[in-house]
Amino acid sequence: MKLKHLAPSAAFLAVGALTLSACGGTSATGESASGGGESDLQGTLTGIGASSQKAAMDAWTADFTSQNSGVTVNYSPDGSGAGREQFLAGNAQFAGSDAYLDDEEAAQAQEVCGPDGAFEFPVYISPIAVAFNVEGVDSLNLSPATIAGIFKGDITNWNDPAIAADNPDANLPDLNITAVHRADDSGTTENFTEYLKATAGDVWDQDPDGNWPGAYGGEAAQGTDGVVQTVTDTNGAIGYADASAVGSLTSAKVKVGEEFVELSPEAASKVLDASEKVAGRGEGDLAFDLARDTTESGAYPIVLVSYHIVCSSYSDQNTVDMVKAWEKYVVSEEGQASAAESAGSAPLSSDLRDQINTVLDTIQVSG
Amino acid sequence: MMLTTSDNATTKTRTLTSKQLPKATPWIIAVASIIVGIGITVVATGGFSVAIAAIIAGVINLAAVLIISGAYEGRRKAVDRVATTIVTSTFVLACVPLVSLLWLTVSKGGAAINFDLLTRTMLGMKGVLDQQYVAGEASLAGGFYHAIVGTVLITFAACVISIPIGVLTAIYLVEYAGKNRLGKAITFLVDVMTGIPSIVAGLFAFALFSTILGFVMPDATGSAKTGFTASVALSVLMIPIVVRNTEEILRLVPMDLREASYALGVPKWKTIVKVVLPTSVSGILSGVTIAIARVIGETAPIMVTAGFAKTLNWNLFSGWMSTLPTYIYDSQLRPVSPGDAALASSERAWAAALVLVILVMLLNLLARFIAKVLAPKAGR
Repeated sequence: MKLKHLAPSAAFLAVGALTLSACGGTSATGESASGGGESDLQGTLTGIGASSQKAAMDAWTADFTSQNSGVTVNYSPDGSGAGREQFLAGNAQFAGSDAYLDDEEAAQAQEVCGPDGAFEFPVYISPIAVAFNVEGVDSLNLSPATIAGIFKGDITNWNDPAIAADNPDANLPDLNITAVHRADDSGTTENFTEYLKATAGDVWDQDPDGNWPGAYGGEAAQGTDGVVQTVTDTNGAIGYADASAVGSLTSAKVKVGEEFVELSPEAASKVLDASEKVAGRGEGDLAFDLARDTTESGAYPIVLVSYHIVCSSYSDQNTVDMVKAWEKYVVSEEGQASAAESAGSAPLSSDLRDQINTVLDTIQVSG
Repeated sequence: MMLTTSDNATTKTRTLTSKQLPKATPWIIAVASIIVGIGITVVATGGFSVAIAAIIAGVINLAAVLIISGAYEGRRKAVDRVATTIVTSTFVLACVPLVSLLWLTVSKGGAAINFDLLTRTMLGMKGVLDQQYVAGEASLAGGFYHAIVGTVLITFAACVISIPIGVLTAIYLVEYAGKNRLGKAITFLVDVMTGIPSIVAGLFAFALFSTILGFVMPDATGSAKTGFTASVALSVLMIPIVVRNTEEILRLVPMDLREASYALGVPKWKTIVKVVLPTSVSGILSGVTIAIARVIGETAPIMVTAGFAKTLNWNLFSGWMSTLPTYIYDSQLRPVSPGDAALASSERAWAAALVLVILVMLLNLLARFIAKVLAPKAGR
């Protein structure tokens, strides 16, 4: 007898559900999502890993799924460590990671991926800018030791002789330096300190880490945006941030070898070409030990490199085809240009792209 | 000495009727102390800070009430007024986070929200579109239709699992268990479950489904992350709340009603279904609503169990899903486009937050409506 009272609310719910399902479901731009797919690939690719390449990943998935409408690419930016772990546990078809697999993980990969183990290759190069805000100074040259001195807190004034030595023509003011660093744990900090340790080890005596060394002073700011904001607002400030985020700030030129190199995508990708592949790995393992202390002309060594890690073999042909198509798109000129546009990364060099494509071609069905 | 005693005596005899401050006095004092508080803050710090001004105003208010009332009305009244002031100030203090949160959500979300956001997904979303928006060349792209669908489906499935279990457990505890050992054990376990951190519930559900799927389909990589896994995680959080609330409500049903029913020869199960439950249904429903409101905003367990989907997925049993909380978290923390254009992601997140708040509010209204319809008619 009470049931008849339920009828109105049930009807209300049903109408609500219908209204919800009647509209919506279109793509981000409001255009119809279907159509335009040229391939007949069907399925879902799951990736877990670094949050650094998330913006690039968004661009890649957007373009890739518009070309292959049957494929869904999921990416969970849980972090590099989580990505490698889940990949090795077989919970994802590919991983994104700011660091390559260590030897133990590489051995583990052979159990998951077959005798050839996992294939790793760089897909995302993000230059880190050393941005400054000093009134009256439009261009700044800095040697690694000077950068280390500034961020360590040894060099406290813009008219310090160390800075003047690098910038003979500049009119450096008598102004205190505010060195801004990240307050949170970050891959940017890790790569930046790694660079300082490698190039100015006698000044920078702390080990590279995602957390800013507590022994050194400076002003802390939350997140990339916080650093950029603080530097923008403070006359005499200098900070490091992802090049895509520095906006209107000017970036310092960094001394490499005998010359000062301006930050540019080409200069950033040059570092990888100058770097050595990690020794003792399989043919298809394109992991690099970054040559932070390279003297190669025109290379900009403060970069963050993020990898994709895939299996050398998968259990079915469909997955193999999907992974191949996906990763080939990611490293393609088009894919790299799309990431550069959306995420501000530096495109891979064509030489490296050819190497990666050769490796990708060898992915096969296991057994 | 003699004089003071007699003075006290006269005051005492007249405390109830005479020498009362006018009714508006506390309000006048409060407004005056706020003005003075702001004044002192501006003068002392050279700037303005709401928090400092509020603290100063609160202290001045308390002191002023004590002095004015103490001087005019006597000690008894003054203590009473001070107590009232403390209680009222604490209440206002408790409202501050709520009001400021609602205000922030409505103002920021309201500025960003539009119908397109509600009907679009993040399929095909990339940084360039956000950069165009921030540069003023295009309208805000993207949306969270998929997240709304995910939230509704996952929460609904969690309700389907946990409401029957929770309500039946509560019925057992109240009607059948009495004070036996099983009842005590269940009560204890429910108490323990109430304290489970939500991330643990998520990990539990994920581990459970990973293990099961590992046996059934060893080749299906990553397939343990589904909407249903998230529903199970949420039910772990929901069940203890439903049990607790329902139990309280069932205990409120007068024993007389049950006894009257038994006296008419009605069996126990029928008494429960026809007498106990209808009497308490509105209370049970509001308990359920509280439980839903508690889990609909969960982020951590959903991230672990359902991933971050960018596209629409109606299937609870296959593929990743997004819910509004994970969508908000993801947009805010990892914008589609870094740098200046991250603003666009932030706007979408605020709009989604507003939708989530409205959704919870609608649920509350719906529960009140159902409770009203189902409540037993009085005087029958």
